[in-house]
Amino acid sequence: MAQNIKPLPQGGEPSKKAKRKPNSARLAKLIIQRRTLALLLVFGVGTFLALFSKVYSLTITQHNELQDGASSQQMRSTVISASRGSILDRNGVTLAVSASADNVFLDPRAIDKYAGELDKARAQKLVDGLKDGEKLPMSGQEYKDMLAVRLAEILDITEEKVRSEMAKTQYAYAVLKKRVEKDVSDQIRAFISENDTGSALQGVHLEADSKRYYPRASLASHVIGFLDSDNHGAYGLEALYEDELEGTAGLSVTATDGRGSELMFQYEQYYDAQEGHSIQTTIDSNIQYYLERGIADMASQFGAKKGAFGIVMDPNTGAILAIHSTPDYDPNAPREVYTAKLQEQLAQADEENPPEEGSEHSQAYYDLLGDLQNLQWRSKAVNDGYEPGSTFKILTLAMALEEGVADRNSTYYCGGSVTVDGEPISCSNKNGHGSQTLKEAVGHSCNPAFIKMALGVQSAPFYDYLEAFGLFDKTGVDLPGEGRSVFIDREEFCSHDIDLAAYCFGQNFNVTPIQLIAAQAACINGGYLYQPYVVEKELDGDGNVVKQHDSTPVRQVVSEETSAMVRECLEYVVSDGGGKNGQVTGYRIGGKTGTADKRGTKTASNPRGDVVVSFLAVAPADDPQVIMLLGMDTPARQEITGVFTSGGNYVAPTASKIMADILPYLGISPEYDEETQDSAEATVPYVVGMSKDEAAAKLTDYGFSSYRVVGDGDSVTDQTPAGGAIIPAGAEVILYMGAEKSDELCTVPNVVGLSADEANRSLVNAGLIMRATGAAGSGVKVITQSLASGTETAAGTVVTVQMGQMTDIDEGAGIR
Amino acid sequence: MAQKKSRPIRTRNGVPLTRDEYRQLKRQKEREDRRKRQEAWEAARGPLDMPFLLLALLLLGIGLIMLLSASFPNAQASSRLGNDPLYFFKRQAVFAALGVGLMLWVSKINYERFRGLARLGLWTSLILLFLVIIPGPKENGRLLAISANGAARWLGVPNTSLTFQPSDVAKLGLIVYFAESISKKREKMKEFKAGFLYHMVILLAMVGMTALEPHFSGAILIAGIGAAMLVVGGIHWGWIAAGVGGVGLASYLLAFTDVIENFFKAINYNASRITVWKDPFGGDLEFRRDAAWQTIQGLYAIGSGGLLGVGLGKSRQKFGYLPEAQNDYIFAVVLEELGLVGGTLIMLLFALLIIRGFWLAIHARDRFGSLLIVGVTTQIALQTFLNIAVVTNLIPATGISLPFFSSGGTALVIQLVEVGIVLSVSRQIPAPKAR
Repeated sequence: MAQNIKPLPQGGEPSKKAKRKPNSARLAKLIIQRRTLALLLVFGVGTFLALFSKVYSLTITQHNELQDGASSQQMRSTVISASRGSILDRNGVTLAVSASADNVFLDPRAIDKYAGELDKARAQKLVDGLKDGEKLPMSGQEYKDMLAVRLAEILDITEEKVRSEMAKTQYAYAVLKKRVEKDVSDQIRAFISENDTGSALQGVHLEADSKRYYPRASLASHVIGFLDSDNHGAYGLEALYEDELEGTAGLSVTATDGRGSELMFQYEQYYDAQEGHSIQTTIDSNIQYYLERGIADMASQFGAKKGAFGIVMDPNTGAILAIHSTPDYDPNAPREVYTAKLQEQLAQADEENPPEEGSEHSQAYYDLLGDLQNLQWRSKAVNDGYEPGSTFKILTLAMALEEGVADRNSTYYCGGSVTVDGEPISCSNKNGHGSQTLKEAVGHSCNPAFIKMALGVQSAPFYDYLEAFGLFDKTGVDLPGEGRSVFIDREEFCSHDIDLAAYCFGQNFNVTPIQLIAAQAACINGGYLYQPYVVEKELDGDGNVVKQHDSTPVRQVVSEETSAMVRECLEYVVSDGGGKNGQVTGYRIGGKTGTADKRGTKTASNPRGDVVVSFLAVAPADDPQVIMLLGMDTPARQEITGVFTSGGNYVAPTASKIMADILPYLGISPEYDEETQDSAEATVPYVVGMSKDEAAAKLTDYGFSSYRVVGDGDSVTDQTPAGGAIIPAGAEVILYMGAEKSDELCTVPNVVGLSADEANRSLVNAGLIMRATGAAGSGVKVITQSLASGTETAAGTVVTVQMGQMTDIDEGAGIR
Repeated sequence: MAQKKSRPIRTRNGVPLTRDEYRQLKRQKEREDRRKRQEAWEAARGPLDMPFLLLALLLLGIGLIMLLSASFPNAQASSRLGNDPLYFFKRQAVFAALGVGLMLWVSKINYERFRGLARLGLWTSLILLFLVIIPGPKENGRLLAISANGAARWLGVPNTSLTFQPSDVAKLGLIVYFAESISKKREKMKEFKAGFLYHMVILLAMVGMTALEPHFSGAILIAGIGAAMLVVGGIHWGWIAAGVGGVGLASYLLAFTDVIENFFKAINYNASRITVWKDPFGGDLEFRRDAAWQTIQGLYAIGSGGLLGVGLGKSRQKFGYLPEAQNDYIFAVVLEELGLVGGTLIMLLFALLIIRGFWLAIHARDRFGSLLIVGVTTQIALQTFLNIAVVTNLIPATGISLPFFSSGGTALVIQLVEVGIVLSVSRQIPAPKAR
């Protein structure tokens, strides 16, 4: 058996095949097959796995960074500014508005490239020779020169500026001028399309932007604020309501090729801009104007060294009708020093420190400029605290009444000073006011009386009231940078009485004017503390109200009865007390004066220290619609002004003037009694062309009883004052019957210091008409006149005189 | 004369044959010859390998479409090309048509006939390569060679498109000669002298002359093709091990040391390519705008593609950012437009073509056929790998075009002719026995 088994051939191949092919061939083929299989695995699988993993890592793992890299070189994105919302006053008058404008920029890279092409073309032409009538193309340098000259001319910038921007050839974007107005951008457009090169200009571009306009210039500038160079709010409401006003900027993204040209058909994405919301403020631009004019007059008259401020508020809602402080600025050019006085100061800095070679101004100039910018951007009414002085007594009065330690029948004795915790505190009247009723004590602004009230209230409740009046917290008014008040802490305050005694007449602590007026409003409006605010509504692009301010009181601090009594006392202050200068003919005004020496400001060069004089006015006193706090920081002293330094003398007349403007404007009618009948005002009717009788009848209808006829014609040919003028009804109207109106000018006499009658006589004699405002009664004299003495003016011109009474009562007091 | 009587006129193996016998024998022999010819003819007339043909045509079609997409921005921007966006596409399409015609013609030729051309092809290749490098008085320091892009690699009529790269011809010459030579040597391939040295000398001559042109990528390809054929041909495994070890060591030195970089610097060759490869985003602005520009732009394009690409025709990098978008860097545009998914599909088609090629080599009727296919397929595989690896910065940059995709008429025609050779071999593969 075993012998029968033959060994199988090696490899087990069929013997038939083995016969047909030589062994070596078979083996060679086998090797080829095996090794080809190996190559198949290496080249068909291995390399592709390697490639796949690399491609995967590039397209997936590194996708974002590589795509960013690609996008950053491919994409040119242009921001489409959203049109910024407007800022309106309460009547819809525009205070800030955006309009489209264009930025002019160069593409220095393209200009350089184009200049190179021009040079090349020119060289080629020089080689080829010119055909008949053919002009030699402009050289690259000529092109650049032309751009520099023409652009500088159109944009009103220097040629050097254009050239230096053009030299930044590594960039494709160099701004020449931002926000040029339409007429200028039209000129640029025309220049781009029509110029000496015979084709569109290379490398000069416009991009749409917007420009902010403040049509009322500096009016309410501290409220409105301004924008920074990127059109974002930098100050004021512009900054605080940036998100609402700004809207959402749109974006236009276009792809460009490697040469920088746009690939319009390739890729373009456009994200619409979302229009910003407008905000309607509580500011009334007329009232704001009256306030600003009054403050400006007051500050210049008394030389307020550290500015002045004023707030006019609706006491029943907290809506701020006007708010102002000096110095202010023009939001159209916020970086320029606005007020003349500060400009002088700035110029002086250069005179004293000559500028270094090559620079426009001295370092001192720039340092001062920075300081002055900050100064003019700050609102003293909101950002800074001060010692309020006697206007604070309103709060003390309200507390005492509310706590029942004082009432209508309380009497107070003042001996000139009072001792608290062993410290003597003097009254403004060193001789003492003697025995007084509550009203009289308020009218006198008598310190001992108020100290008595405060001691009656006691420290702890007093401190609670301070808190209840919101004086410890910011009011939350929607204006940026609201300042903080400074008070000592409760424990220390309650541990003795001396601070209580100082606090009760507004000394030894700091509050901001906005905090104070909110608290004072609570004292006279029925006891409700409102949060002051300036933004009434937010409106979307179609004028729909998106948000509306809700005026709910924060809390009731004192009762209606207390509030009524406070109003009565305040009215007494103006009618019979130290605030007579705050009177407004025909209106019931309540008020309180304040004069506060600033602690720690007395120095050798300033022996009397700084003082803040202020006045709080409320009108009408029986049903307050307006509350106004006016203050002036460090006015010139009596030695210079000739008037005793006090809120009653310095500030109250202006308060009266402003109230006289505001109250009729708000539609609050004056009520005249016998005494003031003559000062009631009327509008002169237009009577030219009428007969004498008709004219007389019409004048009578309008409330004018006296008139004078010049000439003997049949009809009135002219009249003085002209129709439409508002003058006191007692004034005389001149009717010219054929006679020529004298074109001789009248010289305004000096009437300051005269009584109303004397002044009237003097002005009438000069051919002028007097309109008296302010205080009435005995001892009242002219404080200011609207036209300075010596001024030449047409006959029949109305000269407004402010009546008042300068007293020597110093209510600033006490602990020194 | 005794005409009728059949008499012996020829003898066969000493046995006299009568006329009739002779005629009978002759007829028999003729029949036999006819049968053999018929057999051979039938073998050569076997079916083409459809998968390989379809894969090649598919890649050619996709390649044409991608070339159109990748090339039109550059064509449009070039005033030299008449701002004709279809310039490259039209040119490539004409060559593709010509190439497909040639491919079909070549596929009908019995590849055994190429054996006769092997020696002629080798000598032609060597002479052409030599002609390129002869020094001379021309501007490029050569006698005949024509320069383009700073390299003297071309022969032909100057300033016309009638030029060609001898290295392209040499690849084909090498493939055919090695196939013929190796297939004859059989087991002698294992020997040092007859197997290794003989072929190595020829190969080094070709590689050396190509490298001297200089044409580094051409030299790499020729070396790769020759090496692959020698490996498959059966050289001693020790040489294979040495080769793999050598490549491994060189890769190590390149990737992890400065040796090769410094060597390139020393011989004043383009060493910055290695610097760029190691960190294209490093270096200063000038480096990124100049030396690394193309690599960076390629990577940007690929990275922008992401998973699905930006869409066919929507590449942005091809607009003036990516140089040679229609040429060596066409695959970057492919990846940008079609993304990882599209790019992988195309790579898969290449892989399938290569696998099918090697599969055909394994099943070829004889060694010569196998080796021909191995040579051609290796060339396609190497070019595909090296091109994509360069574009993706997997290896340092070297100018290798992507088969069927990159713009370049002559190269495309030669590729298609080579596909024709593979198809020709595929016709003689015996049909698998029915089970």
